[in-house]
Amino acid sequence: MGFFARKLHELREYSDLADIGVIARRYFAMNAFDGVLTIIGVLMGNYAAHVRDAKVVIVTGFSTCMAMGISGLWGAYMTESAERKRDLDDLENHTLTDLSETKIGRASRVAVVVVALVDGLAPFLAALVVLLPFFFSGLLADIAFSYYASLGMALVVLFAVGAFLGKVSKENLIISGVKMIGAGLVSILLSYLLGVGK
Amino acid sequence: MGKVRRLVLDVLKPLEPTIIELAQQLSELSGVEAVNISIYEIDRRVENAKITIEGDDLSYENVDQVIQENGGTVHSIDEVVAGKMIIEDAATLQD
Repeated sequence: MGFFARKLHELREYSDLADIGVIARRYFAMNAFDGVLTIIGVLMGNYAAHVRDAKVVIVTGFSTCMAMGISGLWGAYMTESAERKRDLDDLENHTLTDLSETKIGRASRVAVVVVALVDGLAPFLAALVVLLPFFFSGLLADIAFSYYASLGMALVVLFAVGAFLGKVSKENLIISGVKMIGAGLVSILLSYLLGVGK
Repeated sequence: MGKVRRLVLDVLKPLEPTIIELAQQLSELSGVEAVNISIYEIDRRVENAKITIEGDDLSYENVDQVIQENGGTVHSIDEVVAGKMIIEDAATLQD
């Protein structure tokens, strides 16, 4: 067995032992959703405040993406570490042995890293994708088109997250995707009303 | 030194990894021909297993290492057969 095949086999084994797949899936959907809704808030805030400089939108949007990424990474690392340690301690109380250097202990440490990465990268990447049209705003006649394209992109990402959850729950992918789009539309509408009231 | 041909161990192990995985790993050790694991007591997070291993040259150290790597502990060695062939314990009047 080659090096990568061996590592992949180990990772699959750790995933089974520490339930990494289920938890990572949950964090991925939840945080990608959070990421998109937050960036919708940032975009609509900029729009309502009549920001017409793409650079300003990119800087504020990218800072938000980074903050969400760091928040996810750090928060999940600390939370998962604490929960996994507690779980391993409980198991050690039953076996009356130190399990830190066994397959179970290693699976627990790998789980913390994988879950923290998923928790950090999911909102960062989802929000960054939404922000992409502003990187090409120079090619568009009016910055308003970048706003529309970004909000459209946000709805597409929300639909994709919804469809992903639909696939997980083996429900209708389109219905599940549309439910997610609903959240995005509510967020856009409320922010728009905030702007109108100004 | 005579070769160990059968080991019967009393092991306490976590529910995960399962006995299927443990049996597969033990059966891959050199000198092992067959493995039998049966559970005789189960708890919320751990289980007690009777592990029977047969082969032409068993290494207790290697077997113990695999069990420990999977989070288990050998509580006792309940039976050992060593030599050129496997023999069962002889019946006595007390039996």
